[in-house]
Amino acid sequence: MSTFTPGLVHAPITPFNQDRKIDYAKFEQVIEFHIKHGAQSLAITMHPGESVSLTDLEQRAQFDFVLKQVNGRIPVLAHVSDSGTSIAVARAKYAEASGAEAIICTTPYYWTPPAAMISEHFSQVAKAVKLPFFLFYTPDEMGGIKLSTDQVLKLVEQLGNFSGLIDASLDWQFMINIISNVWRTKPDFQLLAGNEYMVSSGAIGATSMISSLSSIAPNLVKELYTICRTERYSEARKAQEDMAALMFLLKKYGFASLKSALVAMGRDCGIPRPPQNQLTQTEHAALAKELMALSFMNNEPKGWQSLHNL
Amino acid sequence: MPLILKGVMQSPVTPLKDDFSPDLPTFEKLLDFHVRTGATAISWPHHKGESLNLTIPERKAFAEVAVKTVAGRVPVSVHVSALSVEDSIELAQHAQKIGADAIIAITPYFWSPSQDAIYEYYVRLSKSMDLPIIAYNSPSYLEGIEFTGELITRLLENVPSLVAMKEASFDSAKFLEISRAALKVRPDFSIVAGVEFLAPSVPLGCVGSYSSAGGICPNLCSQLFDACTRGDSVKARELQFKLAQLWDLFRDQYPSSLKGGMVIMGRPVGPTRPPLPTATKERQAFIAKKLEELGILDTEPHGW
Repeated sequence: MSTFTPGLVHAPITPFNQDRKIDYAKFEQVIEFHIKHGAQSLAITMHPGESVSLTDLEQRAQFDFVLKQVNGRIPVLAHVSDSGTSIAVARAKYAEASGAEAIICTTPYYWTPPAAMISEHFSQVAKAVKLPFFLFYTPDEMGGIKLSTDQVLKLVEQLGNFSGLIDASLDWQFMINIISNVWRTKPDFQLLAGNEYMVSSGAIGATSMISSLSSIAPNLVKELYTICRTERYSEARKAQEDMAALMFLLKKYGFASLKSALVAMGRDCGIPRPPQNQLTQTEHAALAKELMALSFMNNEPKGWQSLHNL
Repeated sequence: MPLILKGVMQSPVTPLKDDFSPDLPTFEKLLDFHVRTGATAISWPHHKGESLNLTIPERKAFAEVAVKTVAGRVPVSVHVSALSVEDSIELAQHAQKIGADAIIAITPYFWSPSQDAIYEYYVRLSKSMDLPIIAYNSPSYLEGIEFTGELITRLLENVPSLVAMKEASFDSAKFLEISRAALKVRPDFSIVAGVEFLAPSVPLGCVGSYSSAGGICPNLCSQLFDACTRGDSVKARELQFKLAQLWDLFRDQYPSSLKGGMVIMGRPVGPTRPPLPTATKERQAFIAKKLEELGILDTEPHGW
């Protein structure tokens, strides 16, 4: 069993050109920005990075590009989720051959298979590689497909490389049931907060966190994570409240708000690929105004350089 | 008495005789037990108290016993939620008449009310009597019907007697949505967790919780709250894990298993009214085994 701990994982966005191709010059800046601003690992490419809008070849090319760019400075986790088990399996193998440190996989897109087949899906992906396997649980994004505690515990038992659960369900009882049971036999098994609600997850055992808002407010993300890792959860309340304010603001304007906020922060990475719309000019102006009104955003880097390097 | 919500508050189960009729003498003993073992408030009848399986006159009779038995030692609130809103209003007025300290009310059942309808409901409750109101958010049991940040803001701007919320979504995003909206309007607004989910919520400003397992293990409940407030995260996690195992044990056909467990703890409170099942001898034996494994039998009070 691997003891690889992802720590504070940044989940970068994917920049696109005007012709909707991946803008690799920008992507290089994005990756360097994350490394410079507190990423202990990178997850390539999660849903906020529009993994679902990328072709299989593009996802593979991203792995290669990022691994070369990072050049061993920090670990890279490869997100390989897909609808078809064999597609996800092949992507996982590719990521392993490219040098990824770990594999991340969620439930299949679109289909609503019986529980046994969902387990089979995870099982095939995990067994396809020797890398640590992290199961990403995000039922709200995945049409409400739920995993039961028993189902996950069984997978932990069966899959030697099953190293952790990335939880975006925010379901406290589920998280506790998994982690408290698994720790009896696999004390290295990890709980990762799948988004920036780190206080509650940390209090019940999460030791790592995956953050997509690190592209907008990396300093706040780092502060929140760092306080939580010292187990001083009450002291993390202010950072958690600020984080929530940012999350609620972006949620209000929809998915495209992430890239719109990046423009507002001086890091233009283009607009999302269809079927996601971009914000209208009016919406963008309103979002930018509300974003800058959040006082803690003054501490965040504008443009690509760190505040201290300006 | 002033309503201070803090710590682990107990919502007793409802003792019934073997023929399912109300067992008021045992209810008195149970109330006393809770107050003596550290309850910071009493609130009855939550769903755990089989509220919806009791008639309105029965609910009034139990509520009177609660206020009389607790006798001002801790605050008593009465849960007034009923299928018919008209009944809720009547129960709220009755609570005031008998000297309760507050009422607690969930969003209306069955009709999937709109945010406007929920707003109107709480306004009407507040105008029907003078007691402080504790709102109750429980989306997972009410098909997603829940408070939004906007609704709580609107309510707090217009309903001065709304002082607290039992927030039972068990979800950090929802908790923060409500607490951020509420505390902006009313900095002294209290948010109380459902069950004993204290480790994940006290750091976010939660003042305490209503208890699920308090009739079984009051010591464990108090220890968890203490660990959370003094910031002992390692201890809090250990105790929270234990209480999570108890919640799994008891939440199935809630509160049947809880009542079954109380037999094991030497505090029998009778059967559970249909359509909920009563814990069988086999189920009780299973619960006994679990309680023993968790060390509850050695560390918690036996008998009354």
